[in-house]
Formats: sequence, C-alpha cells, structure tokens
Amino acid sequence: MEDLLGNLALGFATAFSVQNLLLCFIGCLVGTLIGVLPGVGPIATIAMLLPLTFKVDPTGALIMLAGIYYGAQYGGSTTAILVNIPGEATSVVTTLDGHQMARQGRAGIALGTAAIASFFAGTVATVIIAALGAPLTKLALLFGPAEYFSLMLLGLAFAVVLARGSVLKAVSMIVVGLLLSTVGLDLETGEERLTFGLQDLSDGVDFAVLAMGIFGFAEILRNLESPETRDVVRGTIGRLLPSATDLKQCVGPVVRGTSIGGLLGILPGNGAVLGPFASYTLEKKLARDPSRFGRGAIEGVAGPESANNAGAQTAFIPLLTLGIPPNAVMALMVGAMTIHGVIPGPQVMTKSPTLFWGMIASMWIGNLMLLIINLPLIGLWVRLLKVPYRLMFPTILLFCCIGIYSINNNPADVLFTAFFGLAGYGLYKFDFEPAPMLLGFVLGKLLEEKFRQALVLSRGSFMTFVERPVSAGLLIIALLIMVVAVLPAIRKSREQAFQE
Amino acid sequence: MIRSSQDVGAGVFLIALAVIALWQGAGLATGTWSQMGPGMLPRTLAIITGLCGIALVVSALMSDGARLERWSLRGPILILGAAVAFGLTVRPLGLAAAGPIAIIISAFASAETRWGETLLFSLVMTGLCLGLFKYALGLPIPVAPWLIGY
Repeated sequence: MEDLLGNLALGFATAFSVQNLLLCFIGCLVGTLIGVLPGVGPIATIAMLLPLTFKVDPTGALIMLAGIYYGAQYGGSTTAILVNIPGEATSVVTTLDGHQMARQGRAGIALGTAAIASFFAGTVATVIIAALGAPLTKLALLFGPAEYFSLMLLGLAFAVVLARGSVLKAVSMIVVGLLLSTVGLDLETGEERLTFGLQDLSDGVDFAVLAMGIFGFAEILRNLESPETRDVVRGTIGRLLPSATDLKQCVGPVVRGTSIGGLLGILPGNGAVLGPFASYTLEKKLARDPSRFGRGAIEGVAGPESANNAGAQTAFIPLLTLGIPPNAVMALMVGAMTIHGVIPGPQVMTKSPTLFWGMIASMWIGNLMLLIINLPLIGLWVRLLKVPYRLMFPTILLFCCIGIYSINNNPADVLFTAFFGLAGYGLYKFDFEPAPMLLGFVLGKLLEEKFRQALVLSRGSFMTFVERPVSAGLLIIALLIMVVAVLPAIRKSREQAFQE
Repeated sequence: MIRSSQDVGAGVFLIALAVIALWQGAGLATGTWSQMGPGMLPRTLAIITGLCGIALVVSALMSDGARLERWSLRGPILILGAAVAFGLTVRPLGLAAAGPIAIIISAFASAETRWGETLLFSLVMTGLCLGLFKYALGLPIPVAPWLIGY
C-alpha cells in the first residue's frame, strides 16, 4: 500500500510538470477533435499523429498519445449523442439512449452524464492499474515462452468471439494477420521472408502503414460509397449538469458499468469493446421498467459510457505488465514506445518508473481535463459536425499521407498504405472484419518468437503447452471460448447482442 | 449453383493469398519442430489460409448467403491515386506541391465537389499543414526543393 502511494506520488510529480500537463491537454483536445469528426477512429488518429510526438521525450510522448486515445473515445460519445453516429465501435450503445435524450431536448444532460460517468470510471480504472501493475508484473516474470504463447492464443480466441458475423471469416482474418506478420527478416537466421525482393519490406510491414490503410483509407472509401445521413440535433443543447434525481439514477449503473468494463478491458483480445454492450444489457435486465430503454433512459448512457472508459483504460494493463498489446490502439502504443526506445513489458516498471507511473497519473489528469474542457467546448464540436464531408475527406487523406511519410521519412510507405487501403476496401466488400486481422498481425511476431522458443526448450514436443499448468489452463479457456463461439444457440444470441 | 457470391469471392481471395505466400516462401527452409527454419510458420499459415478459403467456397456452394456488391471505381481510383501521387511527388516536388495535388485529386471522388472551392481549400490546407508539421513541429518533410532548395 505504501509502495502504491509512493509510486503514485512519483507519477503525479512527473505528470504535473508543465510540459507533460501541456502535452496531456493537447492530446485530449486533439483526440476529442478527431473523435468528433465522423469517419476517423482512434486507430487512424494515433497513426496519423504519431509524428507529432517525435520531438518530446518518451514519457511526454506516451502521455500525449494516451490523451489522444481517451480523448477520441470521449469525442466518439459526443457524436453518438448529438448525431446518432458512433465515433467508434465502443460508443455504438450510447447512440441508443443518448441520441433519444438529445431529441427530447436533454442533449446537455446526456453529454454531462457521459462525461461524469467517464470521469468516475477513469478514476477507478487508474487506481486499478496502479494497484494491479506491480503484482501482475511479478506474475509476468514467472511466465515462460509456453505461457506467453498460450495467453496470446487466448487473446486471439477472444477476438474471434468478439468479431461479428461468420466465425470462419474471423478465424481466416486472424490467420491472414499472422501470415502478414511473418513478412520481413526471419528473427533467427535473418533470411528474407515473403518480401517480393522489396527492400522496403525487409523490416516487415509497418503496423502504422497497415492500420492506416485498412482503417484510414478504406474508411474514406466506405463513407464515400454510403454517405451517412447526419441527423444533427437542432435547437439548444440545454443544461449540462444532471439534476440530483438524474444523478441518483446513475449511481448504480455507473458503478456496475465501471466494474464490468474494467474487468473486460484487462482481457487480451480487445475485451473492452464488449463492456458497453454487457453493461447496457445488464441495466436493461435490472431496470424496473425495461421499456424505457431505447427511449432516452439516462441509465442507458451512464452505464455503457462508464464501461467504455474503464475498459479503454484497463486495456493498458496487459501492455504495461506483459508487453502484450490487447488491441490495435495498444499496438500503436507499442510502436510509439519502440520509436522512443522503450521496450514494453514487465521491465518498463522497474527500468523507467517515471514513465510508467507518470503515464498512469496522467490518465487521471487527462480524464479530469476532458471533463473540464469538453463541456464548455460542446458548442464548438457541434459546429465542426456541420463541416461538409466533401472538404473533410481530402483533409483526412492529406493528414494521413503526411503522417505516414513522416514516420520513416519514406515515400514508399505512402504507396504501401494506398495498397492496404485497396485491400481494406476488398475486405469490406467480402464482408471480412479487419479488426481480428490487425490483432493477429500485432501479436504475430511475439507469438512466433515464443512459439519457437517454447519448442526449442521442449525439443520439439508440443506437450510442453499442456504439461505446464498455467499454459494448459489458458489453452483450456481458449478452447472453451471457441466452442462457445461455434455453438449455434449461443451464436444466435451473440448476433442479437450485436444487432441491438 | 453459387449461392453466395460474396463468400465465393472471399474464399478465392484467401486462396490467392495462400498461393502467393507459398510461391514467395518456396525457397525457405522448413526445418523441424524443435529447430524451426524460417519457412515453417509462413508455410503453415499459408496452408491454413488456403484451407479457410476452400471452406468458404464450399460453404458458399452449400448454403445461401449475401451477394457480392458492386465495386465502385471512382472512389478507390481517385482516393488511392491521390495517395500514390502524394508519395511520388513529396520528395521531388515537396509538400507545397504534393499537398494540393493530393487534395485536388482525392476531392473528385465525391460528386459534390466544386472546382473553385477545392482549389482554394487545397492551398489553405497545405499552408496550414506546412505551418504545423514543418515549422511548428520541425518534421523533415521537403517544402519545395525546386523553388527554395529544401
């Protein structure tokens, strides 16, 4: 406990420096801005803005990137409420009741509730990360290659379950992602693999290039094809602060949402996206009058919003303690860390404690900033929403190009991104979901490394994965999850959950 | 006979990918499980990809599914063309030229775009980007080598 307080004190001392406060502020502001703009998710945003952080020290860079990340989450909720367009996957649920509230003239209260719920969840999640950080890091040191491998396999199994649509297609996407990750020099012999003889591919496919192509460019192509009808709420936003009765209604949902979201966020394989759905379903079940849901129930905003934010933040835990990125955004964080010479994993906490704890403390500060800066700025965000898409998408494209070029100062990267944009458009037409592929790609290199290490240690015997109890346990869970995903009865309810 | 043209397309896509990967990795040593060569995983994964593709095609012949939608040409050609144009021009011509080129080419992917507005907008936006990325952040992106030498 004393350790925890001491560490947090160190963190706050780091995060409260003028430079880091400013970076956190800029990150939150830019993140919200981009989150509000429809058609740019957090993945494309971070990839695009990575060069912004090149000039600052690693701690400052990660603080800013984290700010962009939860700023974008927050901005996504704003559009969900005001325009009925989820800025990203995790705010889908907020559109249900949030937008209804807005249409009833309670837009301000919905936004205020979302902000307060997010802030509460963010605070709790910060404490959870701080408390779990140290013990999980110790646990990580006990992990051998076999355990790492099984844990990552579990993460991939989760990604299959969480993908919508056909299980076969989700599995295919993961395998394709793994296959893509093998491009480049072999880690032991240094031989070139699947590079088509291209020099630019010998270091492998750059994650930012792949993510920007699949999510940034392909997203523009999709939006151009099916223009969204933007139902911007007209009239006034109204009062922002919820009344005492509103607040009382929210307490339960927020506490429950925070716990569900926080727990799911820790799971590898992007469990965070499940949080808001789970919270919404739970609140609907618990409500005395479930028919209010979908017609502007304040609990339907408070619960999912807190789950969303808690999950977004606890997703840092696998990254900071085990060095395993649980989703694409965290993978970009790995990229950012590597650019700055920090190798993610259990050693971050011992080797660079100011970075670790500074980042954790800045998360709380960032949440506070979001609460303070966003509510007064809502008018500005609404005006931004009225910028026509015909001006927006060329701007997004230019920013993407500059961002990609600047990561390695390599024009070929822009061409590769265009190629992956085309591939992403193809995936969309074939109804493949790109998220599992990205996760497969992200985990691929580490998965291969641990797999080979484990088999070298066991002299080629696959029994090593089931003989070691922790590894066996993880594999059993992964297997159960896959069985669950394929069972027809559960598949049906899963489809229902995604349709809601 | 084909009951889901979307899934057939998806399956063929995966099979093609597998074939390309197998062809590219043909020269890599496989090794044994205890001493894996560089080709072991790429080959195994390519084979699984191919099997997934075959399974998708078979399922598309057995049960009904979605039809493959029409692919539009205008969006992909202009948007991705704009990015390619940016990549090809940013070094020789600099951002001052590559910026407007990328914006103007991509803008015509939308039917609502108007010439005058786009031209003006591309200049303003490029100016803003130069100010932000080159001067405020100091990124080493060329501005206009043919005019001012950097």
